[in-house]
Amino acid sequence: MRLGEPGKLQANINITPLVDVVLVLLIIFMVMAPQMRKGPEVNLPNTAKPADQGDERARIIVTIDESGALWVEDKKVAADKFGEALRAAAGNEADARVVLRGDARLQVGEVRQTMLAIEDAGFRGVGLISKDASEAKGN
Amino acid sequence: MQFNTDEEGPGLQSEINITPLVDVVLVLLIIFMVVAPMLLKGYDVNIPRATAETKPAEADASEVVLTIAPKTCPIFKPPTGEGLPADCRVSLDEHEIPAADLPVRVAQILGGRPADQRVLFLAVDSSLNYEAVLRIVDFAKSNVDDLRIEFVETN
Repeated sequence: MRLGEPGKLQANINITPLVDVVLVLLIIFMVMAPQMRKGPEVNLPNTAKPADQGDERARIIVTIDESGALWVEDKKVAADKFGEALRAAAGNEADARVVLRGDARLQVGEVRQTMLAIEDAGFRGVGLISKDASEAKGN
Repeated sequence: MQFNTDEEGPGLQSEINITPLVDVVLVLLIIFMVVAPMLLKGYDVNIPRATAETKPAEADASEVVLTIAPKTCPIFKPPTGEGLPADCRVSLDEHEIPAADLPVRVAQILGGRPADQRVLFLAVDSSLNYEAVLRIVDFAKSNVDDLRIEFVETN
């Protein structure tokens, strides 16, 4: 831009840096998306056609890790405090739904115990979370 | 695009207009931000319990029970690779069949029923591996839409 030519000023905003920043943010989100779950990392079972588990409102995520320890959202809870923790997580939400992320190495018995505990805490039905095998191929 | 034939002969707009590109990228970003915490996939299951309102499931002639027992289906470790665990035979309605036949048999038995009566009861031994069982369930329901899964107690 030269000051001698007032009629030829560059009047447009230079948006190239904006595009750069937005693209970088986009890439960060794409990379972070699989890691934004609540709770510890577990090795989810791989299955062929899992169904979508709806939206996240009124959803409580329960995780059973490899050692069999229980997590409600991102807090580890003892087995005897589990029902209490679930009800606290549900709060006033009338139609809260529990989804269960169980490690692939668990036994069915351990998962069923937790399902029964969830049922006993007053929740109807559970969503068993798995990983879509076709999406997980790259990992 | 229109050429300016007035006094600005050499003042052509030679830059690419990237405003639509920015719009698209921003929208993509917003979509990812909104969707990121919501992506979870899995299976809906029920655990019938005896309570005041719901009586326990009775052995009704119309109920289809899929039994996976360790004797005929010894899967104690997570399966390697994809697909069904090999050497697995399961009982569907008290007939022993290879696990590979499940989609066809389940579709034969349950496919013709109205959607609210398509229920597959699962009686799975507690010592079996969770991932292997989930894969068998996934496989069994692959030919039938809206199939409900109920875990029942085993002895």
